Amino acid sequence: MFASMRSRVRAWITIGAGTVAAILAANLLGAFGALPEPEIPVFAAGQEIETGQWRVTPLRAFVTDQRIYDAPIREGQKALVLEVEMTNRTAASTTDYFTLFKHGLPVGEESETPFVMLTRDPSMTPELHPAMKERVAFVWALPESATSPGEIPFSVNTKTYKPIDNLYGVPGWYNEQELGRLVIPVSEASG
Amino acid sequence: MIGHRLANLAILGLAAAICYGMQTSKPHYADLTGPIPVRGGMGDDVKARLFQLRVDKVEFAKILAVSEFGKDRTLTTGGIWAIVTVELAATNSTTTVSEATWQGPTGLGYRETERLAMVSGLPPFTVEPGLPARGRFVFEVPPSEISGATLLVSNERAFALDSQARITLDGLRLKPDGTPEMVADIYDMDEPIQ
Repeated sequence: MFASMRSRVRAWITIGAGTVAAILAANLLGAFGALPEPEIPVFAAGQEIETGQWRVTPLRAFVTDQRIYDAPIREGQKALVLEVEMTNRTAASTTDYFTLFKHGLPVGEESETPFVMLTRDPSMTPELHPAMKERVAFVWALPESATSPGEIPFSVNTKTYKPIDNLYGVPGWYNEQELGRLVIPVSEASG
Repeated sequence: MIGHRLANLAILGLAAAICYGMQTSKPHYADLTGPIPVRGGMGDDVKARLFQLRVDKVEFAKILAVSEFGKDRTLTTGGIWAIVTVELAATNSTTTVSEATWQGPTGLGYRETERLAMVSGLPPFTVEPGLPARGRFVFEVPPSEISGATLLVSNERAFALDSQARITLDGLRLKPDGTPEMVADIYDMDEPIQ
């Protein structure tokens, strides 16, 4: 009885391992390359985007060499400014918005993290409170030589809510991934 | 033989069910080490582990006027400003009280504002035993989050196994729709705390 049980288990394991190996080999040989890639949504200015933690409406974007919203842009740098209206959808005040937008310009690492300024009065890194809409400017420092291509693609990112994380068992927002693209005209002007 | 096997399977199933039950009913780490609430109302002396706190009054304003580095500024908000005046005392050693949250009736948490950089009488407050001090906590809140709110005060933002004062803001003068009766046009942060 146990002998027949053991041989049956062994047969199951062999069949399972064979299937996994076959799928892996097919994957390596590119059998799934023909599957259509999921389409990334494209957002436009003025469109409300819901990204998990935020409800955000991009308003305008521009490049300027003037001091803008008191953002600490050094001399010899330009500022790429993306103005948005955003509302915190979570239950607590937060500043977790630095990776919400990423611009697709091929410039150095120093300009990857934006300064985030409140436009109401220029406070840097303002905490945004639940259910209170605020107008906020994301300001990236660009080298002076950077030229404005007229349109800059931004990727819009989102995070996933986990009620219990694996390390401390606390709720939080994790696993950032791209939600879509924002294509917005960028004017070369002082705001 | 069959009966023996069925009994074994039943025991195995029971063990799995008990293990699953224990896993799902286990309190989470965050709950085990979370704040230990000390409750009270407005005007009560609420005794936390390291400090004692009394909420004297709550005022509301549309605009805050401050002078920072000798420059006058006014601060507007999308909601209204709530200014909570408190009296603080240390229990038995010098302590710093720095964290306050305005918790609305549905549980939304509004941290004290960080937009006022260089204004005196704002947290963090360092208090000595036997020398009570007065201070203000300033919040930006939507008008709908005022009625039924609770003030949460602790020494620090992140802490484990320590107390948190939770003061029910029950003495607010509100209109029937839950918004405050008195909202000042301008609140001058440079006025001495009374």
